[in-house]
Amino acid sequence: MLLSTLVFGLVLGGSYALIAMGLSLQYGIARIMNLAYGEVMICAAFAAMLLFNVAGLSPLLSLVLLVPAGWAISWGIYQVMMRPLVARSGTTGRLEVDSILATFGLLFVVQGVLLVLFGGNFQSYAFLGQGVNVLGTQVALNRLIAFGLSVLIGGGLYLALTHSRWGLALRAVALSPGSAPLVGIEVNRVARAGFALGGALAVAGGVVLSMYQTFSATMGVIYTMKALVIVIMGGVGNLLGALIAGLLLGLIETFVSVYIDPGLTLAATYGLFLVILLWRPQGLFGGAK
Amino acid sequence: MPDFDGLQLDGLTIRYGKHLALDRVTVTVGRGECVALLGANGAGKSSLLKAIGGLVRPEGGSVRLGGRVLSDLPAHRIVTEGVALVPEGRGIFPRLSVEENLVLGANPARARKGEADKRAQVFDLFPKLAERRRQIAGTMSGGEQQMVAIARALMSNPDFLLLDEPSLGLAPIVTKELFEALGRIRQTGLAILLVEQNVRESLKLADRGYLLEAGRIVGQGAADQLAEDPAVQHAFLGGTTAEID
Repeated sequence: MLLSTLVFGLVLGGSYALIAMGLSLQYGIARIMNLAYGEVMICAAFAAMLLFNVAGLSPLLSLVLLVPAGWAISWGIYQVMMRPLVARSGTTGRLEVDSILATFGLLFVVQGVLLVLFGGNFQSYAFLGQGVNVLGTQVALNRLIAFGLSVLIGGGLYLALTHSRWGLALRAVALSPGSAPLVGIEVNRVARAGFALGGALAVAGGVVLSMYQTFSATMGVIYTMKALVIVIMGGVGNLLGALIAGLLLGLIETFVSVYIDPGLTLAATYGLFLVILLWRPQGLFGGAK
Repeated sequence: MPDFDGLQLDGLTIRYGKHLALDRVTVTVGRGECVALLGANGAGKSSLLKAIGGLVRPEGGSVRLGGRVLSDLPAHRIVTEGVALVPEGRGIFPRLSVEENLVLGANPARARKGEADKRAQVFDLFPKLAERRRQIAGTMSGGEQQMVAIARALMSNPDFLLLDEPSLGLAPIVTKELFEALGRIRQTGLAILLVEQNVRESLKLADRGYLLEAGRIVGQGAADQLAEDPAVQHAFLGGTTAEID
């Protein structure tokens, strides 16, 4: 049982890491704390389900369609909803509070629409549920694919951010937005790209999670909070930290659920969150500033 | 001067609320020329550089480069036009490595083609940066960080280099090294507009100078003449308090 718990925990943690990376990018680069982040994810999960049930489209193909759509929609949200807030805020730092309020509103708008369309019940679809033998335990194929995708997308993005000029420009804006114009970087444009990229990751996370988890119209906020916990655990702006913290949270949740009580998983998440906020507010992997 | 192809500030006025920081200032920097901007703290020197860099919007007047009006462009476009600013406080990326700072310096389109040559030139100028490529810039000494800032500006392949108090807070020996490096940069034909509190060294380096006082140009001339000027000597070179404050 230990081994299967470990594998399940890693699979869940991989999805969490992917989801947290997107929130981290939106907050780190665009300075927007997007409370509607989980809703974007859940929308993607429903879209993948619809495409699977109605059009018979494999979620692997949906991913290819939905991720660019997630980019485009987030780009649009930034342009229409966030740009005025950014312009109004200037250098005052009001953007963080304003964006929290604005996206808090967006959360309920999206959630309301999802409730009308899909009702409040848990949903899922049956994609590659057959078991595969992994180190002596049976694991559903969909979970293995989900984990593979998390590693591929999360790892690929991490490499792109740390090893390309494009990624360097994104990191430069995240770390020192005031210096970026000096090297010809247009901060607004990069911020919008960062927000869109985060949205694309939310969609990727939603589709990946929908392959093996049940979901409902009101669950978005839970994922937003989990992503937030992971981002703070990993150290704000630390992508590698978010990846590791995501895996850790998946493992902890799975172990608590298997060995203690499934009802305590959320409590464990927030317990851990409180411990870190109290004793290591810079995150597990953040150095002293 | 309709055919002037250098940097031209014409009747530039900058106001912060009620405070008039620059009052109809006219300054020119020709291609390949080195110009020092002298003045006490609060005279408006930094405001002038920020206005050229697009970081402050002038209330009146204009900044032009050749036929282009730079003062209409957003800050990130200025460096693309060939004007690189090393601001007060350096403006480097302290949490990125020296190497990453340099790569970012070559971010503007005009810098991409000759990037490798520029890098070689920069490392030749500041050998220490070649040794410390992987070091996080923020962990270096003040003088080294200033080198990173200047090196990064050079990576953008500029025609004009604007320096805001590069020797501020540096030890005398480091300041000496810095001015030696600036001397070599000058010889490459790059135009420099230098704001400095170290008047003696600045006037040795520069071709010409301007005196700025309370937001107005109160004097200008060839650097060697300014160095001899009793007003300059009184205010900066022999003065008891002016150089410190």
